[in-house]
Amino acid sequence: MLSFKEDLASTPVSALATREAIVVQPGTVVRAAIAQMRAHSLGCAVIVDYSQHPIGIFTEQSIIKLLARGVSLDNCPVQDFADPTFLSVNHADPIEHVWDAIQQDGVRFVCVIDDDGKLIGITGQRGVAEYVADCFATQVTVQRLGSTPWMQQREGA
Amino acid sequence: MNHDLTQSDSSTYEDPLSNYDPIDYESKLQLALAEESADVFGSQPFAQVKPTDTIRHAIQSLYESKESSLLVIDDEKLVGIFTERDVLEKVAERYPKLAEHSVSEVMTAKPTVIYETDPAAAALAAIAVAGHRHVPLIRLDNTPYSVASPRLVFEFIQTHYDA
Repeated sequence: MLSFKEDLASTPVSALATREAIVVQPGTVVRAAIAQMRAHSLGCAVIVDYSQHPIGIFTEQSIIKLLARGVSLDNCPVQDFADPTFLSVNHADPIEHVWDAIQQDGVRFVCVIDDDGKLIGITGQRGVAEYVADCFATQVTVQRLGSTPWMQQREGA
Repeated sequence: MNHDLTQSDSSTYEDPLSNYDPIDYESKLQLALAEESADVFGSQPFAQVKPTDTIRHAIQSLYESKESSLLVIDDEKLVGIFTERDVLEKVAERYPKLAEHSVSEVMTAKPTVIYETDPAAAALAAIAVAGHRHVPLIRLDNTPYSVASPRLVFEFIQTHYDA
């Protein structure tokens, strides 16, 4: 049986859950990007070039930065506040690449591309966490979650 | 049917746990996830604000700390969490109007938490199943001691996955 480490090194990124990306152009105004991110409850928008190749990413971190600096949402293009942790991986690359990027560089979102470099979707911390949870479903799915100790969540005597 | 509990025949008594088979884990990582408590994540410094602080102050704290969430603490007790997602969904597009409002108006109150005695796997469940990226880790006296994030959980896994 493969160890989990070996599993990460041999399983392709295509096994991770991906989400359809929000795609914007470099010159898209940040207010428009934020509106799409909010509407889709997604923490990033991928900046693509004319051939739909991802070239950057605008994230919730970018929003914090521009609000803290007092930048107007209406006058600023997304490329000016692109997140420096941008990463693209091929769908056939091992999950290990994404794992290492998360642990070493703090990457949260990863663009998954096809063999032509075109964007397939978005994965990242959430996708890897879901994959890990699937691998350890017996331990994970029995957990009780809430805002109180589980003894207080029980009904009855 | 009545049972006479005052009469017991010790010769026929069988310990109900005598046939108990302990769980057979396939790896030390499975064992660690199920049996180690969230206390194993340890105390880590976390960014925090008071519920009466302004949203402007909270945004500045997120920016300067480079954290993705702030625990909202009142009298040393957790009352909420304010995250980048709250900024995206509730604040960003109305920031000039909301900047001087209190963070309590836009924080997530009563967030999902993990108690120090919960299994480490609970943190993974909160992130992967419930979809929370930041989960306060709480002592039994309700004081927070860290925030579980994907990176923290992955680090825990990494320390066990060679075993």
